[in-house]
Amino acid sequence: MSELQWGLTMTAAGMGLVFGLLALLWGLLTLVLRFDREPPEAPPAEAATAPAADAAAPAPTEGIAPELVAAITVATLAHVAAGRRVAAPLMRSYWPGSQLFASRWVAIGRGRQNTTWRGGDR
Amino acid sequence: MDEKGDGHLAALREMRSRAVLGGGQKRIEQQHARGKLTARERLALLLDDGSFQEFGTLATHQFSEFGLDKQRYPGDGIVTGFGKINGRRVAVFAQDFTVLGGSFSEVQSQKICRIQDLALESGIPLIGLNDSGGARIQEGVRSLAAYGEVFVRNVMASGVIPQISLIMGPCAGGAVYSPALTDFVVMAGDSYMFLTGPDVIKAVTGEQVTALTLGGADVHMGRSGVAHLAADSEIEGIGIVKRLLAYLPQNNNEDPPQVTPYDPPTRMDEALNALIPQDENRPYDMRDAIAMIFDRDSFLEVQPAFAANAVVGFARLDGYSIGVVANQPAYMSGALNIDASDKIARFIRICDAFNIPIVTFIDCPGFLPGTDQEYGGVIRHGAKIIYAYCEATVPKISLVTRKAMGGAYVAMSSKQMRTDLAFAWPTGQIAVMGAEPAVRVLYRDDVQSAADPAAKERELIAYYRERFFNPYRAADVGQIDEVIEPRETRPRLVRALEVLRTKVQQNPPKKHGLVPL
Repeated sequence: MSELQWGLTMTAAGMGLVFGLLALLWGLLTLVLRFDREPPEAPPAEAATAPAADAAAPAPTEGIAPELVAAITVATLAHVAAGRRVAAPLMRSYWPGSQLFASRWVAIGRGRQNTTWRGGDR
Repeated sequence: MDEKGDGHLAALREMRSRAVLGGGQKRIEQQHARGKLTARERLALLLDDGSFQEFGTLATHQFSEFGLDKQRYPGDGIVTGFGKINGRRVAVFAQDFTVLGGSFSEVQSQKICRIQDLALESGIPLIGLNDSGGARIQEGVRSLAAYGEVFVRNVMASGVIPQISLIMGPCAGGAVYSPALTDFVVMAGDSYMFLTGPDVIKAVTGEQVTALTLGGADVHMGRSGVAHLAADSEIEGIGIVKRLLAYLPQNNNEDPPQVTPYDPPTRMDEALNALIPQDENRPYDMRDAIAMIFDRDSFLEVQPAFAANAVVGFARLDGYSIGVVANQPAYMSGALNIDASDKIARFIRICDAFNIPIVTFIDCPGFLPGTDQEYGGVIRHGAKIIYAYCEATVPKISLVTRKAMGGAYVAMSSKQMRTDLAFAWPTGQIAVMGAEPAVRVLYRDDVQSAADPAAKERELIAYYRERFFNPYRAADVGQIDEVIEPRETRPRLVRALEVLRTKVQQNPPKKHGLVPL
């Protein structure tokens, strides 16, 4: 009975840890996406004149100094731009070396293009 | 093992510790005092954290002449291995200047050759960090023979895997040929490359030069064209290598990585419509057009200072890597000359080898006239561009922005040279030659017999311009596929390349072609 209890405890702890980390990752990605988003288009005229009470929920930057928000935003954008320049993993559509993107047409065609090249002995 | 007291692990750890120290703490401090990093520090900056796995850490030479028996250092002055750059597998070697000045030895050669073989067999890029005083004189002809082993592997890997050389110190004598055989040479800081040094030059010719004025980054970026990119510091140089690698595939069977698109493919920059000046003889900067058409801040210009009348480099379009070739009207009116021909031809062949589509922007009044050019073999050099374009099987798109005259028009990715799509802006002027010389040839008698020759010539020039100085005649006969508004260029290129992405074209089987070298 104690072994069963121990097993259940470990299962709960393990799953809790995994789901906890997934939730943390989800939160992190949501934060990154928020900073990486294209600037929103100007609201239509009627929306712009809507009463303030109907506006969206309070800004998430509430309580943080505007200078700090600006610095974080600039740093995040700079980080994203640097990542793009070097094709960092988060910025890629597919992994280098992956053949998933290549059609059979291209794969076979490239093989034929390289028939003049022969590996092996020098 | 250590628990039994045999000390095997302790011995291994001690040898590894010695290897990490290279030529010793004193030499490391001297290296730092010169403002330079050690081989291992450079690799730590280049590679992802914890990704480096070293080979040949403990290899040492077996020579004893000239006191070499007292100078045995684990690794023998070079660090080789595999690692990752932004998650991509790469093979690397870094010469360690703290060990006998990084001198090139037989063991160095064996270690480099091993990593070259593994890189080629694995289909991954090879990056070399060069910092060596030259061949190890004490080893005699063996160190010279060792160069040959490296060169042959450079050539075998050429066009199969990307090879990048980062020069971070001296690179002299025979050592220069290994970087010269690689695809890209990046020079960092006060590095220099030359075949014969200042002392030899002074003894032979009497010329007095310093190492930097003879073979510094400024010389090889601006005059010789040996280097492709340069950086003020070692850290910046390592950053450039990472950025350059982002545009290249792992090998010649794969595509370069695509960055998640971040610039709308349908974006149309209105400023493009006003880019070409009203006065056809006024220059404009082709790099402005490139910046407005391709993904924001994605253009990496290669050899920016060498043959500035041509612009080549990598950019991204909808996240895909693209090779950009262009004339530069802001410099020498964009006329082609010997250096520009070499620059363009080499870049086209790199793009073709690594499956990178080529977009060519044409604003070229022709080849530069003059005895210097003709005596220098501009015919042979210009033929390289034609050869490279005709041979290339990657998607090729050309765009005439303004002047496209005579042989230069034909050479610059003309429709008949296996170019897939040819666009032109309404400002395009596609003709055999300029209006003035054309009228002098075609209407010499008419002009001479006219009552007012000057007025007659002006009239005929205006007629010629109206007839030929537009893209529509070329479009009539199919030399131009479509005349487009400048602002439409980006979406048109994105759509065209989307179709051409699966283009497959094969050249006839042959041992190799005969490029007019």
